[in-house]
Amino acid sequence: MATLREKLKSALGSGDNSAKIRRRRAMTASLWRNLSVLRVALLVTGYVWMLALPSSQLGQGTYIDENALQPGQVNTYWSWADVRRADDYLKDLELLRDRNASSEERAAYFATEFAKLGIPPSTQKYALRSSTLASEGTNAYAVFSSPRASGAEAVVISASWLSHTDGFNLRGLATVLSLSAFLKQYSHWSKDIIFILSDGYLDGMHAWLSAYHGSSQSNMQVEPLELTSGVIWTALNIDYPGHSFSHLGVFREGLNGRLPNQDLINSFRLISHHTGGVPVLLYDHHDPSDFPGRQDILKIFPAWTPKRVTDNKDVMEYGYRAKNILRHVGYQARGRASGVHGLLHQFRIDAITLFAVPSNGPHGFHALGRTVESTLRTMNNLLERLHASFFFYIMATPGTFLKIGTYLPSAVLVAVALMFGGLGEWVNAGWVEVLDQDAGATDKQSAALIHAKRWVQRSRDVIPALGIVISTHVAGAALFSVVSSSWFMANQQTYTFPVILLASLLPLLTLLLPSSGDPTSQAPLPILLKSATLCLSSTLISVTSVLNFSLAALLAVALGVPVSLAAPAHSMITRLLRYLLYAALGLGWLALGQEMRQAVWHWEVLGVWFAPLVCVVYTPMMLQAGIVCLLSP
Amino acid sequence: MRIPFTLLLSVLSLLPHAHPADPAAAKEANVRQFFDRNAVGASSESTHTNNWAVLVCASRYWFNYRHMANALGMYRTVKRLGIPDSNIILMLADDAACNARNRYPGCVFANQGRGLDLYGENIEVDYRGYEVTVENFLRVLTGRVEPSVPRSKRLLTDDRSNIFVYMTGHGGNEFLKFQDNEEISAFDIADAFEQMWQKKRYNEIFFMIDTCQANTMYSKFYSPNILATGSSEIHENSYSYENDNDIGVAVIDSYTHFVLEYLEGIDKTSSASMKDFFEKYDPVPIRSHAGVRSDLFHRPLNRTLITDFFGGVAHAEVIDSSVDARLDDLRPSPPHAHVEQNVSFDDEAFVEVAVELLPDAVDAASSALARQFRAWGSLGLVGAVIAWVAFKPGHGQRRTET
Repeated sequence: MATLREKLKSALGSGDNSAKIRRRRAMTASLWRNLSVLRVALLVTGYVWMLALPSSQLGQGTYIDENALQPGQVNTYWSWADVRRADDYLKDLELLRDRNASSEERAAYFATEFAKLGIPPSTQKYALRSSTLASEGTNAYAVFSSPRASGAEAVVISASWLSHTDGFNLRGLATVLSLSAFLKQYSHWSKDIIFILSDGYLDGMHAWLSAYHGSSQSNMQVEPLELTSGVIWTALNIDYPGHSFSHLGVFREGLNGRLPNQDLINSFRLISHHTGGVPVLLYDHHDPSDFPGRQDILKIFPAWTPKRVTDNKDVMEYGYRAKNILRHVGYQARGRASGVHGLLHQFRIDAITLFAVPSNGPHGFHALGRTVESTLRTMNNLLERLHASFFFYIMATPGTFLKIGTYLPSAVLVAVALMFGGLGEWVNAGWVEVLDQDAGATDKQSAALIHAKRWVQRSRDVIPALGIVISTHVAGAALFSVVSSSWFMANQQTYTFPVILLASLLPLLTLLLPSSGDPTSQAPLPILLKSATLCLSSTLISVTSVLNFSLAALLAVALGVPVSLAAPAHSMITRLLRYLLYAALGLGWLALGQEMRQAVWHWEVLGVWFAPLVCVVYTPMMLQAGIVCLLSP
Repeated sequence: MRIPFTLLLSVLSLLPHAHPADPAAAKEANVRQFFDRNAVGASSESTHTNNWAVLVCASRYWFNYRHMANALGMYRTVKRLGIPDSNIILMLADDAACNARNRYPGCVFANQGRGLDLYGENIEVDYRGYEVTVENFLRVLTGRVEPSVPRSKRLLTDDRSNIFVYMTGHGGNEFLKFQDNEEISAFDIADAFEQMWQKKRYNEIFFMIDTCQANTMYSKFYSPNILATGSSEIHENSYSYENDNDIGVAVIDSYTHFVLEYLEGIDKTSSASMKDFFEKYDPVPIRSHAGVRSDLFHRPLNRTLITDFFGGVAHAEVIDSSVDARLDDLRPSPPHAHVEQNVSFDDEAFVEVAVELLPDAVDAASSALARQFRAWGSLGLVGAVIAWVAFKPGHGQRRTET
């Protein structure tokens, strides 16, 4: 071993330390020389990688990982009699809808129907308050205790009063009611089955879950639940707004970018195909290859794209996958739940929404009931929580997905580029190249001048830079408290412009800062500030990438290029113009009224981090980049 | 029950007036002829006098239903062919029958359509649930059990016992998992069998295993008189045979299914040999290459009956008077008392052996004829004792006093 080490040493020539030091110096020097090339290369690779994610070369087929699931191996007994029962419930529900019945009336109806079936029912009133809107309602739920097991575990089948489309989810509710009657006939349930008919869209289920798990928040009053059960493992939410459906769409994104275990989606897909005979979609996105000659259903390519391009099979496939991934990023980056199921993930419950994609046919209660029955049998087989398959994935199509290793590096590469940039600026701040006066400054010796330059170390006073960074983030926090206040929301249109103006004028105060002294002895403020901003944004992106990739990718796109390009100019006009550009990037979202209201509501009621993150982290960083441009070099 | 019987025989043989030298040999021949004529499989060359079965299902969880069904299917077959519950050690790691997920509570089926309930009304599971461990399995085989372990949980075999060992579960190259918690290696089983051989705990062993790469499990055996078979070769999986769509899981493994299907055609009087049995192995329907290892087994397979292992025999054995002359004091004696002389165990091991062997070995397979014979024998014995007491009254009194 020792001889081997000796040999290795001699081979590498590291016998003496000077060689080692020389080698390290050479490496650092070449890194330094090529730093800008390296940064550009990393940025470009990161962005190209992101663009390549929808490529059919990157995905891999889904598979069932958990042995216990055994999906699609049972006969189903959901029959036309059960469909008839669902139709009867639907008639009652339509009457309730048509006479505009109150929440209490509806909940009382549900509770009565559950009681008629012999399943213990209960109702729960709740009231929610936020700066954007207040809501109240009544949930109905029933707990069917497992006939032969201890009831330590439970599964949830739910439907909300409103669909995620604009309509009512009457058929979803009717399905759950009829299912409860059907499922009660069997004794082979190893878990309690909780039927939840929640009021509203997200608010009802949120109230119910908060009460069930004992979490409380100041802006919500909920009645305690009379009936409880065990730990909820999995949940299916049914959203069936139309008359009939052609496909079942899977919605999976939860609050703050949480995803359910992929095994649940894969089992459901298998069962839907083989037992229900219903093809499965991601969201409501139809696969264009299923509709030859009607590639326009993709609706992703702009109208001016030549038909020859859009008809190409690979382009079509890319477009289809890109559409799925973009929709996913839209939900995940903003931390939005794509359906009622998304509220359950925070309690470690694997849940999806089955969306009956409205169509003229051919499927209805019969196919849906059979699919849910069989999926429940599969969930019933579970011996422990879903854990085997993936929690971090991007579904490209219903049957293919991207593993974390295939998408994560794209955002991380951008973060690395930013970090290199930040460190480069830090070195720039510490050293300056000056003319060596002793070498002589006559014109004759101008050729020698080049060689007479030398590097001088200068002091790096980070306090002003850090002061600016901190004050922008404090300003961001203040901005957030303003925009999430009820008086701002009440007069949003009036206040939006003044707030933008005020927020963008504040950083101009930095112009009043005394200009930093002699650049040969003291590092200029913009360089230090840029260094800090680059390092911060890099850290932000890389940390976020493992928590919520879509958000990290969004930040990488939003911050990567602008922060890298921020640089002071000599002309005051250019500086101001540049600053205005950054201020527009950093504060422009305030003009997106509806989107902002949604984000604030999600933060106040559901605890989604997107709104505070934008205000307290993103906007200040953009302003910092703006200040870098604004300050005199 | 075997011991009192042999004991009686030996006592009878010791009575000088009843058994003069030549007539004794003639009588012995008579007795042997009598039993051979009525024994199961008259053409058997096996010298065993009792049959035992150890059936192990090493995996738990609902989705491994088929392993429970495998073991229970084998249990049904050995019981049908004559091994009584007292001679079967059934180890069942999980209870599929009473699982809440079972659509048919209290039942275990091994085929699509659920024709035959293997759980039935007469099941004796000796080791269940978490008792099914590698340690307990090895203790059962080697007989190194706590004194508190009931007789029904012991493998009370002797050097004339034929043992059928069946194992099923999830395994791999030279190992078998027990309950996803621990595993037994091929070496462990080989060493256990060797210890059994040294302790004269078997006459012959038939080892059968249904798991992935099953044939590796018997590759390490080195003790004599072991015939082994497994479901699949190294780097080859064993698959399930079929699902029942109401139970919702696979109900039996392919290899075991075909073995049981073949054995259904065998009854107690069958003269089918192991050779016939192994020739029925067909890798196409089984979907794996079942293997046989017979190099340790010293009888030709075509003259080894299937019922030598799957059936139950109750052969009487006439013990040579010269060996057991000291039995005349009527003290029950270990059948393998000579173990103590031949094999030197150190300390605890020896004590355990003694503890384990002193209680007489049980052979519950008692045919009507045997019972009749025993009745006559005990009548004779009682007569002899009375006569003895009558002739030596003083001796008898002194004994009761002490």
